[in-house]
Amino acid sequence: MSIHNDSEFKSALDQLPVAEQRKLAARFAQSVSPLCKDSRVAAAIEAGLQSVTGDDKLTPIYNAVRGVCVESYTECGHMADWANQAGHFVAEAAAACVMPEVALHGANPAWDAAMRARMARTCASIADGSGTETSEAKNQYHLLDEYLNA
Amino acid sequence: MTVNEILTWVRGPAMQFALVIFFLGVVVRILEMWLLGRTPDLSLARRSGFIPGLRTVFHRSIPAPGLLQRQPLVYLGGYTFHLGFFISLIFFAPHIQLFYGVWGIRWPGLPAYLIDFVAVVSIAALVALLVHRFVNPVRRYLSNGGDYLAWLVTFLPLFTGYLVAHESVLPYAQMLTLHILSVELLLIVLPFTKLTHSFTLFLSRWYNGAMAGRKGVAS
Amino acid sequence: MSAKALEHGINAFVEQIDRPVASFFNSCVHCGMCADACLFYTETGDPKYTPIHKLEPMRKVWKQKFTFWGKLMYKLGLSKPVTEAELEEWEPLVYDSCTLCGRCSLVCPVGNDITYMIRKAREGMVAAGHAPDGLKGATIRAVEIGSPMGVTWKTVQAQIKHTQENTGLQIPVDQKGADYMVIMSSMEIVNFPEYLGSLARIFKEAGISWTICSDATEATNSGIQIGSSDIAAQLVQRIVDGAEKLGVKYVISPECGHAYTAIRWEGPNLIGRPYPFEVIHILELLDQLREQGRLRTEGTETARMSFHDPCQLVRRGGLVEQPRRLLKMVASNYVDMPDPGIWNWCCGGGGGVSANDRADALQLRVFSRKKSQLDTARVETLVTCCANCRIVLEDGLEHYQMAIPVVGLTETLAKHLVTTPQETAKTETEQGEG
Repeated sequence: MSIHNDSEFKSALDQLPVAEQRKLAARFAQSVSPLCKDSRVAAAIEAGLQSVTGDDKLTPIYNAVRGVCVESYTECGHMADWANQAGHFVAEAAAACVMPEVALHGANPAWDAAMRARMARTCASIADGSGTETSEAKNQYHLLDEYLNA
Repeated sequence: MTVNEILTWVRGPAMQFALVIFFLGVVVRILEMWLLGRTPDLSLARRSGFIPGLRTVFHRSIPAPGLLQRQPLVYLGGYTFHLGFFISLIFFAPHIQLFYGVWGIRWPGLPAYLIDFVAVVSIAALVALLVHRFVNPVRRYLSNGGDYLAWLVTFLPLFTGYLVAHESVLPYAQMLTLHILSVELLLIVLPFTKLTHSFTLFLSRWYNGAMAGRKGVAS
Repeated sequence: MSAKALEHGINAFVEQIDRPVASFFNSCVHCGMCADACLFYTETGDPKYTPIHKLEPMRKVWKQKFTFWGKLMYKLGLSKPVTEAELEEWEPLVYDSCTLCGRCSLVCPVGNDITYMIRKAREGMVAAGHAPDGLKGATIRAVEIGSPMGVTWKTVQAQIKHTQENTGLQIPVDQKGADYMVIMSSMEIVNFPEYLGSLARIFKEAGISWTICSDATEATNSGIQIGSSDIAAQLVQRIVDGAEKLGVKYVISPECGHAYTAIRWEGPNLIGRPYPFEVIHILELLDQLREQGRLRTEGTETARMSFHDPCQLVRRGGLVEQPRRLLKMVASNYVDMPDPGIWNWCCGGGGGVSANDRADALQLRVFSRKKSQLDTARVETLVTCCANCRIVLEDGLEHYQMAIPVVGLTETLAKHLVTTPQETAKTETEQGEG
């Protein structure tokens, strides 16, 4: 099977168990991780890839990466630094991987991470002025395809 | 001059003088305010602000949620002395007699012992509020000479009035003289201090309610 | 600052003093209740944050220019004029410890609209050159670049392209004769681009005819925040020009508090004429669509959700009922925090405060009030509809180590949107250029 659009993408993701959603979330975040050098983000992505479970383990990693998210927001009235903004969305994608069970409330970490990763790519392309010729979405369909067919 | 001559002067020319200052002062204050004008609001209103304005004139007397608990004395003490002041002024027989002499209309009064009680409670409330003004950090920070002057000229008529009725400190004629003088002092001072709130508060509340009301907010 | 600058400041105060201002100053009895309503006093206990006290320089000018006794005292030299030093001392009071939230105006027993006066006082401060650097920078960027955050049409185009790819929908640009013109705050373009995608999807389902205007994308108004009517008018005029050029019936104000105040309530007064179009807030439109059955949702959020009322939209804007009506469509476990609706407490960052780094520590400190509200209501997810509130809330929550996600109302509705099949069939590869 091959993923061509977001409807197929989302429905395939929704069918996976949470542990696998987290793994894929981590893969999506990993794809854009060069845009953010913070070690807390790397730790969160790693935890996602390793399918770390249990809120006792996830919570400290989540809190740490949320810290990066909050630090990297561009505040109202401040000059937007698009490279920094890209890093912000990478952190958000990484946070989605390790959101504790108790806070998930039915959300799909993989979908959330995918959306954030796409925003990270868009911000990066604004930063370097290259436009958005390369679509992160296509990468993500690829990643999911590979994962499902493996 | 004899005591009676002073009293006659205080009731007569001095009172006229005080009333003239009072009326002139109030008129000037109103004009100074009114002539500033107000540019019409060109934004599209959700509704007319007129009724909401009127509503707020009355409704604003009700303490906002949580604030009565935070500052009970400000509200309770404030309402007590305001109400007490007006009850003593309007429903005390000698005052009714005075107004009848001036305007030719009279109305039923309250028994003297009740007015007594109201006066004492009002005086107590005023004293409590003065203490609060020293003790509460915000009020102490904000307060200036004008606040203390306003307190004094409000306190004196109530206090001297109570003493007139009880002839305890001075004989009747002297105490009455002081009482009327205190009223004249209040009249002269009112237009030039925060006591102007006695008539401007209606306009302020109306503006508040109208400006919020035209946006659809019940303030 | 020069003597000339001080003179400009005093003149600006004089210009701003109108009949309501005089009535308010005449009525103040120094009861101090405004302090008990103000976040900055209740959370710090510092009486200098008393709202009416923030107006002291303007009050002095009123007294000395517009009252008999004040004029007399001034002439006799018994009353001193406002000084440079005073304006400098008052600058943090007027800008760091006031978000124009409006709570003080709701509680004043004599009815003073203190917020109205602080907005006017800022005109004097800015004319004298006394405004926070961060806000000055934001305002300069707004005028020169078109956005206080440096967003350009190019960046908007990139976000449009991103949105088109994600939603599979075309974003209309510069469509003459469309019914609705969408403007956005820079905050949404930079931090919450999902807002545009949410709009696109909701409007598609509801059959709304809409467009973005390439000349007028920016909704925020730094002029309002810093207190410069000239600049505020300039920024509003851009939107008006765009809307008139495209001949739209409505301009949709986005999820940003002060943007609404600027375009909806101050705008016509700034430019000196009513608009030939109507301003509608996105929540008003969504609520209308809900009523007409054109906004259909399915499924609900299970988290214990509460709503943070943005001050400029609810208390100062009049959108009191709409947010909860909309949120309850998708929140099965909704609770109000203490002091909801028009009584809610400010996030602490509005009115230019978040553009002002000097106010950072104070902003975080007074967040304790919001924390207390959230703790009492045991909120699990917080919903709001102002992009600045969102970030200020997240900042505060992080500072106080509270793990409560903050989400936007429009995007939450869009998440649960009932979509007709055709929309989902379009692939991202079939979408054209932005």
